[in-house]
Formats: sequence, C-alpha cells, structure tokens
Amino acid sequence: MSMKMLTLLQIGGVLAAYLSVSLLAPGLLLRRRFAGIRTSVRWMAYFMCGNFYIMNLVYLLELLHISYGPTLILGSLLPFAVVAVTRFRKTFTLSLVRGTRRLRLISEGEMGIKTQMYQAGKNLQRMSSGLLGQRMSAYWPDLILALNIVMLVFYIYGSNVLNVYGYCASDIIVHNYWINELGNNNIFVEGIYPFGFHNVIYYLHAVFSIPTFVLLRVFCVVQTLMIHLILLAFLRAVCKSKYAPYLGMILYTIGGFFSQATYDRFCASLPQEFGMMFIFPAAYFAIAFFRERGFGIQARSKFNLTMFAISISMTLAVHFYDTIIAGLFCVGIAVGFCFRCLRWSYLRRIALAGIIGILLAVLPMGAAYMMGAPLEESLYWGMSVMTSSGEEDTGEENVKDAEEEAGNAPAGSDEKPAISIRQRLQPVLYKVKVYVACEKDEVLWFMLGSIAALLLLGMLWLVLGRREYGGTLVSIAVFMLLLVVLQGAVDLGLPQLIEISRCAIYLAYGLGAVWGLAVDAFLFLLFQRKKAIHRASFATLVAACVALAVTGIKTPVKMGGGETNDAVICMSNIYRENRDGGTWTICSADDERQMMRDYGNHYELIDFLREMEDLKSDASITVPTKTVYFFVEKVPLFADNENYGRKISVEGAQSALPKGKDTLSLYAGDARWVVMSRLYFWAQAFRRLYPNEMEVYYETDDFVCYRVQQNEYSLYNFAIDYGYNRTG
Amino acid sequence: MISRRNFFTIVTLMFALFFLCMGTNNLKDWLNDYTVNTYTDTAEDYPSKINMYIPESAASGEAAEEETDGGTEERALYASRDRVVLIGDEDGIYGKAAKEWALYTRRKIAGYGTLSSYEGEVEEGDWPEMLVIDSRCVDWEQEGEVEFLTQCVEQGTHLIFCNLPDVSIIKKDQQVRNLLGIQKVEAEEATAAGLHLYSGFLLGGERVYLPEEDKEKDNKKDATDREERIVFPGETDASGRPVFPWYLLASGTKAYMKGIPEDPSVDTEDYPVLIWRKSFGTAYVFAVNGGYMEGIEGIGLLSAMSAEMYPYEIYPVVNAQNMVFTGYPSLADENGAEMEQYYGRSVKDLFQEVIWPNIQAVLNKYQYKATCMLTPQFDYSDDAPPDKEQLEYYLKIFNEASAEIGLSGLSVSDTSLRRKLEEDGRFIEEAIGGYEFSSFYAGNLPEEDVETALEADLLSSVMTVVRDYEKGDLRIIDFLSEYVTSQRVFDIGLDYDYKSDFLVKCLETALGYLNISFDMERVAYPDGKEDVWEKVSITFGTTADTYGNTFRDFDRTTVSECDIRIRRFLALQYTDSRAGDTVQINISEADGSRWFVLRTHNEKIKELEGGSWKRLEKGAYLIEADSEEVVITLAPEDVRFYR
Repeated sequence: MSMKMLTLLQIGGVLAAYLSVSLLAPGLLLRRRFAGIRTSVRWMAYFMCGNFYIMNLVYLLELLHISYGPTLILGSLLPFAVVAVTRFRKTFTLSLVRGTRRLRLISEGEMGIKTQMYQAGKNLQRMSSGLLGQRMSAYWPDLILALNIVMLVFYIYGSNVLNVYGYCASDIIVHNYWINELGNNNIFVEGIYPFGFHNVIYYLHAVFSIPTFVLLRVFCVVQTLMIHLILLAFLRAVCKSKYAPYLGMILYTIGGFFSQATYDRFCASLPQEFGMMFIFPAAYFAIAFFRERGFGIQARSKFNLTMFAISISMTLAVHFYDTIIAGLFCVGIAVGFCFRCLRWSYLRRIALAGIIGILLAVLPMGAAYMMGAPLEESLYWGMSVMTSSGEEDTGEENVKDAEEEAGNAPAGSDEKPAISIRQRLQPVLYKVKVYVACEKDEVLWFMLGSIAALLLLGMLWLVLGRREYGGTLVSIAVFMLLLVVLQGAVDLGLPQLIEISRCAIYLAYGLGAVWGLAVDAFLFLLFQRKKAIHRASFATLVAACVALAVTGIKTPVKMGGGETNDAVICMSNIYRENRDGGTWTICSADDERQMMRDYGNHYELIDFLREMEDLKSDASITVPTKTVYFFVEKVPLFADNENYGRKISVEGAQSALPKGKDTLSLYAGDARWVVMSRLYFWAQAFRRLYPNEMEVYYETDDFVCYRVQQNEYSLYNFAIDYGYNRTG
Repeated sequence: MISRRNFFTIVTLMFALFFLCMGTNNLKDWLNDYTVNTYTDTAEDYPSKINMYIPESAASGEAAEEETDGGTEERALYASRDRVVLIGDEDGIYGKAAKEWALYTRRKIAGYGTLSSYEGEVEEGDWPEMLVIDSRCVDWEQEGEVEFLTQCVEQGTHLIFCNLPDVSIIKKDQQVRNLLGIQKVEAEEATAAGLHLYSGFLLGGERVYLPEEDKEKDNKKDATDREERIVFPGETDASGRPVFPWYLLASGTKAYMKGIPEDPSVDTEDYPVLIWRKSFGTAYVFAVNGGYMEGIEGIGLLSAMSAEMYPYEIYPVVNAQNMVFTGYPSLADENGAEMEQYYGRSVKDLFQEVIWPNIQAVLNKYQYKATCMLTPQFDYSDDAPPDKEQLEYYLKIFNEASAEIGLSGLSVSDTSLRRKLEEDGRFIEEAIGGYEFSSFYAGNLPEEDVETALEADLLSSVMTVVRDYEKGDLRIIDFLSEYVTSQRVFDIGLDYDYKSDFLVKCLETALGYLNISFDMERVAYPDGKEDVWEKVSITFGTTADTYGNTFRDFDRTTVSECDIRIRRFLALQYTDSRAGDTVQINISEADGSRWFVLRTHNEKIKELEGGSWKRLEKGAYLIEADSEEVVITLAPEDVRFYR
C-alpha cells in the first residue's frame, strides 16, 4: 500500500472519529432539546457541546488521575445514561418491554425470520425515501455546495499532508510530548498551558486507539476543514441570501490573493488554529443574543448565552490568542449592537456569560496552579510578545521599507519629523499588505474596501431600520478594523497583543466573512424577496467562481516536514510490523522519541555517537530490544542554504562531533551533516562485522534505514571502532 | 403378517449389513499380504558403495570457480567454499567430526598435525575456506602462530576452534583474547545451573537446559528425582553440572550458547559464553568453550557455523526420521515371575494389549513410522517357545500400520548369533513359510559378527543394518558391504535428557537424520521399577512429543526407506551457485529425490523449479530435488507494506 493511500485512510478515520464524538454524539443526545433551531446554528451548537464535553472530561479525569481509555468511554456514555435515566425513569419497564418486543416475538416463535426481514426492509425503504426525499430536499443545494467547499479544502490543504508525512511545524513535537504525558495522567507536564487541543487529541487516541503521531500528522486537515465549515455555518446563520456565504467561503478558500503566511500553519496540527473553530460560534451566539428583542423567549436567550459561554471558554481552553481575537470580536459586537449592549439587562447577561466561560476555562488551570504547577514557558514568551515593541516580529527591514515607502524616513536620517495620522497609518497598511495581501496594493485596497463597504452597508441597514442585521454587519466590520489595527499595533503605539504573522491568519479568516456578508448586504438592498435574493446570490456566486477561474486560484499549500517522508514511512512500517508486541528501538536524530513513545523506544543519535567517541576496549553500547533501527539521512535535512542537498561524506565523518545539549542546533546545518555522516560510516563498519544480522530495512536515494535483529538474551555491543571515532 | 416384498427387503438389508460388518473385515484380512515384506527391494537398483562420493585430496587448493550463465561475480564470491584444513589429529575426536562433516557437505579436507606444519606449507594466495582447529595443536606461546591465525582471518579464512586454549593463556595474552573476541576472563572455572541455546543456530530453535527444580520448586521430591536423571552436554563436573571457564565477550561478537550461572543475580548479558563467534569483517572466528564439539555433535555445530558464515548455505541431508523398537515384538511367554511381579501379565499380553496401543497412538499423533525389530524370543535357553499365531497377528497389524518388521540379532541368553538366527529362521519358516527381512538390528555386535550373520539365509535379503551408536565412532551412516548400508541408531528413546536433546539437534542440523531406538527388552526384562512400561512410557511420550514437534517437517521413514535415502545421500555429487536472487543446484546422476537444507539470513524462498520445498523454521528450508537442476529464487524475508 502506498503511504498516500494510508494517509488518505487515516484522514478518513480521524475525521470519522472526531465527527462522531464532536458532532454525531451531541446531535443524538441534544436533537430534541435543540429542535426548532436553524440547522447551521444547531450544527454549531452540537459541535461546541461535543468539543466542550471532551475537553472538560479529559481535564476532570486527568486531574483525578483516572484518565484511561475505559474511563473516557464511560465518561462519554455518561450523558446518554443520564438522559436515558431521566427520560425512562418512570416508564423503564414499559420501554424495555416495547424495545424488546420484536426480540420477544422472534424468540417465542410468533414472528418468523422472513417477516422480520420484510419489516426491516420496509422500514429501511420508508426511512431512506423520507430522508433522501422529503426531509433532505431543502438541503440538497447546501449539501452539494458544502461538499464542494470540503473538496476545495482537501485540495488546498490536504495535498500537503498526502505528500509530506512529517510534522510541518517544529513545535508539534512538544505538543506530542504533552499529549503522551496525558496518557500517564500527567497533565501540565511542563507547566500550565491551555490543554484543550491536547485533550481532544488525547481523547481520540485513547478512545479510538489511533496513534498520537498519526493524529498529529493528519488532524490538521480535519481541523482546517472544520475551521472552514464553522465559518460557513456562521455565514449561513447571519446572511439573508442562501449562496452569498459560499461566495465568501470560496473566495477565502481558493482565492489566490492572500499571503502564504495566512494559511501556512493550516498544514500543521496546532492549538491556535484548532481554537479558531470556536471564535465565530462565540461571535454568532453573542450576536444572536443581541438580536433578540427583549427576553420574551427565555429559553432561546439562555441557549445563546450558554453557547457563547461555552465557545468563549473553549477559545481560552485551547489558545490565548483565540481568546484575544474573540475578545476583539466582542468589542466589535458591542459597537455594532451598542443600542442594546448599553442596556444593563443585556450587558450584565452577556458579561456574566463571558465571565463564566472564562472561569470554566481557567478552572482546571487554576486548580493545577493551586496544586503547585508552574506556568509553561511559552506563556511567558506570549506575554513578552505582548509587551515587546514588535520589532523582532516584523523585522526591522519591513519597518524601514514601510517608512521608506511612506517617504517619511530618508535613509540615514536620525531626525524624527512630526508624524501625521496618514503617516502613522502607512506602516500599518504596509504590514497588512505584506502579511495578508500578498504584497499587492490592489489586493490591499480590495480588502480594506470590502471592510469599509461592509461598515457602510451595516450603517445603511441600521438607518433603514434593520437594526439586528445592520448591527451584525457593523460588528464584523468593526472587528475587522480592530484586527487591522492589531496588525500594526506597534506602529500605532499600542501593545502588540499577538505576534504579527499570526494576527494575519485571523485577519484573512475574517475577510471570508466580510466578503460573504458584504455581498449579502448589497443583494439584500437590491432584492427584498426571498427567491430573488437567492437567485441573485447564486448568480453572484457563479460570477465569482468564473472570475476566480480566470484570475487563478490558490495553489495547494506546500510545507516541508520536520523529518523526511522516508523516516515516517519507516515508522509506519515499524509500527505495523511490531503491533504484536515486538520490542524495538529507533536510533535517529528526529522526533521519533515522542512520536513512537507508546509503542517502542528511541535512542538519541548524538548520545549514541558520543558514547563511542573515545572508545575504550571495554566500551559497551547495548540496546535491550529485539530489533534496533537506525535512520540515516544520506542527504541531511535542515542544511544551510549554501549546503542544500549536500550528501554525507568522509569529510563530514572526519569532522568533530557537535558539542552542546540543544538538539535543535545539534541536528541542523553542518552539525546534522557530521552526525549523519558519522552514523552512516558506523553502519557500514557494523555491517561488515554483522553482514547477516544487519540489513537494509528501507532505502531511497536520500535515506536509508538499517535494521538489526538481535537476541534479547545476548545483545550486540554497538560500540565499535568505525574509523572516525577516537579509540583509546 | 409380513408381505413377501417386505420380507425380501429385510433379508436384503440383513445381507448388506452382514457384508458391511463382516465382509469388509474378512476382505481386509484376505487382502493383507502380510507374509510379504513391502520394504524389501533389490539393492542393486540403488546406489551402492561403489557409487559413494569420495572427496578429493585438498592438500593444495584448487580454484573451484566455474562459469555458468550469468552471475559470475556472485559465483566467484562463494566459490571458495570447498576447502577445509584441519589442524589436529585426523583420527582424534575433532578430526573425525571435521572429516565426516566435510564428507557430508562435499568439501575437500586436508589435515595437519600442528599449526606450524600447516604454516610451513601454506602458499601465499592459497587460503582455505576455513581452519578447523584443535587448540591443543597450536603453540600459543609462539607469538608467530597467533599472528599467523590473525593473518588467516585477514585473508578471509574462517577459524573454528573446536576447543579453547587453557584459560591461563587466554588470561595473559591480549592477542589471543582479541582473536577469540574475549573481553575478559570473569572466572577460571564456573559451574552452571543450566545452558541456554539460542535460536537460529542449530535447527530446532531455542532450548533452555535447566533442571526443573530451578524453574519450579513445587514438588521437591520429584524435582530431586528428575535432577538425578539430568545429563548435560559438554564437560561437566562430578555432579553432572556443566563446568567451564567464564568469559565475557568483546564487541563484534555474537553468542550462540551461554551457561546459566547458579547465582540468579548475574545479568543475562554477563552469563558465561559457550559457543560464539568473533567477526573481523573479513572472516569469523568461532569458539567453543567446554567440549561441545566432542562427538557427533561436532558435525552439527560445524554445519551451523558454516550457515552463519555466508549469506546462504545449502547442503545435502538424508531427511529421515526413524523410530526403531528393538526387541519388539517378542513372541514367547518369558520371564514369567518378573512379568507377574511388575505387570501382572505375560510378555505377550503386555506387548500386544498395552504397549502396541500406546505406540500406535504416539505414532499416529506425530506421523512417525515404526520399525519393529522382531525378537521371536529373548531367551533361547528356556522352554518357552515363540507363538506362531502371535507372529501372524503382528505381521498383519504392522502391515496395516505401514510399520516395518526387521529382525533383531540380540538375545538375553548366551546363545550364539548363528544359533539364534537358525532357530528364528526355523520358527518363521514353520509359522508363515518364510519372510524376507530387509533390515537387521545388530545392536553393538562387532562388525565381523554382523558380516558373518548377514551370510545367513534368513538375512540374505537384508539391505541395511541398524547398529547402536558408539561414542567416538562418528560414521553415522555408511556402507557395511558393497550393497548393505549401516545406520547408527541412538538408544535415547526411553531416556530423554539434555545431552541427547542437544545431540539430536546437532544431528538434525547436519543430516536431517534421526534414528531413535526404544529398547523393549528393558521392558520385558526390567532391572527395577524404573524400567516398567508405566514409567518408561512417559519418557517415550516426551521423546516423541519433543522431537515430533520440533522436527515435524522432516520425513518420517522406516529404516528401509531411510536406507534408500542414505544410499542416495552418500552417492550424491552436486554443486551450487548463486546469481543475484537465484540459487542453482546442479546434481550429478540424479536418480530419485535428494534432499538439501537451505539456510538463509533474512531471505525466504519465493519459488523453486525442479523440486519442492518446506519451511523448517525461520531461515531454514528443506528442499526436495527431483531433477538434476534445481533453481531457487529467493526473496527478502519481509517487505515493507507501506512504500
């Protein structure tokens, strides 16, 4: 089987597993309670409830140190049990009799197998005709278009996963480590950090037995898909027309006018991106709350507030940046719905919901803090970004370029002339252009124009008396303007709350909503009738698609992996071949230590080489497993630009082993070349001694994996004189 | 009132039932041609002594490279695999083993009394495949000899040390330690509680030879009883425990067998090594610590070592597994008093009603074929004559069970062999009008007596003589005369111990040959309670179960079937070569099937032309060659599922 096919199957499996617990299970449980709510909203609500439950279930069990597969499954079934007990408390016997009636009839011989099959067939026929015919008829266009969005997302973001098998971000391995530690009931292993994402991945690993490294490899596709579908659901919930949301989605998904920085990170399974799924639902439920006139329908406002609290909670539970963005969105909503927000009855409710949401997220972290767990280091980094001038993020060059472009800072000039607002805005716009608008002025102005148009349309609709609709438009427009400000916060003398490149991701994401809503608002101006606006929106969608096809669409994202594809292929084979309990160790310079921790062992390559560096006659390196694999990169990764593609060589092996402890520097550039060269020549020497015992397990032009199968009762001594180590 | 029609139907049914119940039985009896030995054949139809392969002198090396289609490069790589130099006494225990092994694997062998004598004659560029060394024939004090051995290794000649120099030499000489791959001497003498033979070396897989009481101390009395019977292979101390110097290995080594120290706190890694190899990149040095190559075991160990030296090794085997019941059946009511005391029944009843059902059950379970060496009577001096009906009975059931009947030449009385044969011949003539025996069990009778006995009319049709294995005589299979073969049988059937287990593994590795005898005379004339069938049948079951399961893929034969295989094996001449993934065997004068064992490393047979194959265990295959040219295509043992 090809690795591509395996990855495809893995994506399918992970998607099915995730949707079954985040969407299907809540749907089954809450469908009666959420009956009567719009499909898109209900869908968002199910998704929020599912994720919220998983995250907090893991938090609870972890803090109680009883987090295992069986307890997680029991915890997952608990709501169903509660509902069943509540519902069938008084009629349990009757329900049992009813439920088992058919079984009783069969067992007592009153119903034959033919009758049983006939009835089952009829039921199936009735259900299928009802489901596919009458019930689904209204949803077919949506389903088809949504499916198109799904396919486009897979095309743009999935192809990288199918071609690059390693982790596409350097910090995933740290998250991998933290998730592994959840398996030992050791949450917050390196300090307090929002663990929402980790909890979900761990849950999928523990309940569905999907290896964590597979989840982290392919979950990015699933989460990116959900990020897009959540935005679509949001737009479907707030737009008047049926097809304008798809227009916004298509422009965002395949429009080729965004800088690569705005979507690169979608190729990696990272918490920040995972948390993006909860921003627009939080905004929607806040907007929905404000769109209600008075509190006549109590249940609905409670529902919105509850969902808002849950969504806000999850943004914080997953990543602080998402909470900041959600907070900005709340500011936008407060401006857009100022006519209601300033009323105490609204304000206190929404504020209380927000506070509860934040408390819910902080509670597990607070509990851990009280128990003595320190804060995780990256939180200090995040805070330092907030308090920094932002220059390290943006790069002095960019600032200088912007200033030069703005014409207010001639080269070599030390004088600080008076700066006008226009001059202050220039660097901000420049950063938006660089980080979001693909460094094209026309795209920049198109983006800013869209936001401005949305703001104007919103205000127009406010004037026209459609306050809820207008308020929604203004909310989003203000939110987007705040994001633009955030992008250039340093230049405006404001604190840089979010690293600038990451801020661009949110800005681009929001633009999808802006375009969808702007078109919707405009068409709504032209066409008041439902059918007319639907048709017009469809025509606009088609036109936009044609325009995109003519101007060109985004090319599928390409990101390099943290290790070679060959290494991951080897790992997948090793995992498969040793599932029956074979013991094995990988000796490599990569991340296999964490990736395969639950299944095998890892020997750090630099330690392996260092231990036989000053070889004494009694030196001994043994690996106490049946099989030992050695990963050698013939063309080492992470080479400097001038040495890109350089092969391992005698020259590399003759160089001294790199010193230090930081594996990042030990395994990059020249150091990696030396280490790999040394390992290769060690392998050659060892193979001369053990030609029948050491074999080539997998080999390509750039990579070779050796396998040594040994007797566990009499291990091989890997410490040999391979010609390049010093012998004593 | 029954109608005529119904009456007719009932009568027809009765006849049918009668025929089915009685007729078939009688028919079977009638068709049972038990007086004819189905295993009798004409010896002239099969290879005889004149056809036997005789190795050429290997005093000087000759290049054995032959050009065949394709793969010249690979051929050249393995072509030198045909010349062995023995350093030691040619008639010594190691010399005999080396010579027999060279004969079986069709290698040339040359012998030199001392290493220095060989060093004096060796020519530059004329290095043999391996040196089989009795370390007593190396002057370890002479620095030049160790240097010469090192030079041999550098030139690609493997060294096999059948025994090691004195521990004091190893202890003081770093150069010797380097050569042997010994890092240090942990103790000059150590007594082990048991032995651990690792898998992948000898056929039959891993074995832990550890007394039961060390594994489980539940029943102390039983454990003590068992311990008394335990016999370890190799050198042992007075209490029977293995004893040897304790060496720890250096890097570049691989251990095949280790001792298990009595001290349980010792790390597995530090267990004393008994059989190992040191790799030098150019060649291997194999070392055996503790007398494990003394005897027939040496042949098996040489085969196993040879298989470790190369990416693949192919060698001919007999492929025969025999179970020989000597002194069974006996047809006379003898030793009445003892039989009454131990069994409460006569020998005839015991053999017929107790032992045969036991034997048959075991044979059926492990698919063995029995060879029963008939003894009409054990004691020719008493008045109990053999029973003719019993003979007829046994001939019938043996014929039905495809068991072979041979004649045993042993008796418990002082009757001469000649007289015994005369009496037996007379009895058989009277009972069934004569019988052609194809096998004769001679026990440990002298060879001259056997040759004389074969001249008797009763044994005129004998093609093979089964004789007891005697320590020191390593010629397991041979020609006794021009047309009669000799095959050694191991009397270990009723005495399972670790030494015999190790021996069997060595035999199977070298020859795919197992010939176990079960001495039934011991049951008929027990020396004590330990010899009664009730007790020995347990060992009989253990033996059959152990070897039946471990070597289930070798063919089960009777001694006459084995005889034909031995003739073909001894006459076999073949060459093998490898080009890429293809191994080719060319057999001269291939008449009938020949068997080979193929040992590989991380490779398996993908397909085979000119025969068939069976997987014995990981990296070991049994090949049956049906034609003169056998082509084996090898493939990696496992391939990556994800690419």
